[in-house]
Amino acid sequence: MSYYDLDAILTDAEKVPCKFELDVPDLGYLDNNPSQGLKAQTPVSLPLWLAELLALSSRTQSSNPEDSAPFLTLEMPKALSNEVVSALKADPRAVALRDQTHNMYGLATRMLDLFEEPEMCAVLRRTFVTRAAETALHARKAGATDDVVRGEGFLSGLEEWERSLFRRAHDGNKACKEWMEGVKK
Amino acid sequence: MALPLPQGLVPTEVAFLCEMEMVTVVPRQRLESIPLLSGDTPVLRPPHRAPMPLWLALLLKKQRRANIVPPAWLHPASLADIIHHETNVDPQAFSPPPPPPTRADGRTGRARPFQENIRSSREAPKPGDDPRLAPPFLPSCTADAPGGYLPYHWLELAEALLAHAADDVPAAAEVRSLLRDLQEVRAAKMRGSTQSLEGGGGVVVLRGVGAMELAESRAFVLGVVDGVRKLGASAEATRRDEEANGGGGRYGGGGGRGDFEDSDEEMEF
Repeated sequence: MSYYDLDAILTDAEKVPCKFELDVPDLGYLDNNPSQGLKAQTPVSLPLWLAELLALSSRTQSSNPEDSAPFLTLEMPKALSNEVVSALKADPRAVALRDQTHNMYGLATRMLDLFEEPEMCAVLRRTFVTRAAETALHARKAGATDDVVRGEGFLSGLEEWERSLFRRAHDGNKACKEWMEGVKK
Repeated sequence: MALPLPQGLVPTEVAFLCEMEMVTVVPRQRLESIPLLSGDTPVLRPPHRAPMPLWLALLLKKQRRANIVPPAWLHPASLADIIHHETNVDPQAFSPPPPPPTRADGRTGRARPFQENIRSSREAPKPGDDPRLAPPFLPSCTADAPGGYLPYHWLELAEALLAHAADDVPAAAEVRSLLRDLQEVRAAKMRGSTQSLEGGGGVVVLRGVGAMELAESRAFVLGVVDGVRKLGASAEATRRDEEANGGGGRYGGGGGRGDFEDSDEEMEF
């Protein structure tokens, strides 16, 4: 992952729900209440890079991992909630991942690093390969036939990883077709 | 990012490499041997067939000085057989590549490709020692290549022959449509092959896939493999940790890679 990778930066900026474990003065504006401080256990949404940092670092100096208390606790973002995961389990192709978040898989890998969810990992992997095959089919057909309408729903639901897959598959096909048309010369 | 070229060979490069393949020509005029970097070409005497690299054969064909004998696998019946094999016999895998050439004495693996001089029996190389048994050096596109098997450069060679020597290919129109079918069937398999990655340990079997098909889907397949790897990275790390912990217990915590990895968690300062 490059320093200038825009997708990584955008994934970092995804909001994740979390709760502060302690009262924070002067942060009330996060809860639309600027006049008061932020109470502990108020649900707020923070960007992933900040939330991850605060959830993993300890607010006490002790190095004993037993009583390390983080500043806040993380929760699974809505895009990876139970409803979405069970919908993906039912039919990976029917869910428009882009409507959940633009960097679905990027966010998922980051969250899987933080939470141990072997089942979600398996579901996502199955989703990815199933949708990849479908994506490649559309990439091959794109531009070749006129039935844009059929694939439109699926293609607009592709998230960033899948879009780049689509581009790769389509570029390969295009180069091959161009060569084939040029053989005659 | 620095170089805008994709990974691996692009289709035009593959087609260029394909021009090195040997094909059989039937000359119409005499032509003396030409000394080339790859070796001397055989002397052409009109009714005798001779093996030629594809690029030279196409050149002679364009000048109407030779006809090209299409390989047996390019015959419509052979192509139909292959399609049948791909769709009905083995709908999962690709049809197998041509078998290594056999000699009359039944020993495989000792090809006698173009221009290989019959060496004296004393200095005959050991079996498996022949550096020419890789696809570009096997005579897989000459007239005596076996039918019913697709060689490595099947698509490029077929396209080149159909484009420049269509009058030499029997039933060219039928061959063309069969090739399209075959291409579609195999492209669908190529897309489907990534499905086997789901389990995590899946390996995509690419036996019998042609060079052009590889060039076409390389980026896509690599993208899927990479994506699956990234999605499984955390599960893989957990698995390794568990393995390392288990191993550490068994060996009484004696040093090892696993112990080194979790030393951050276990050591107390």
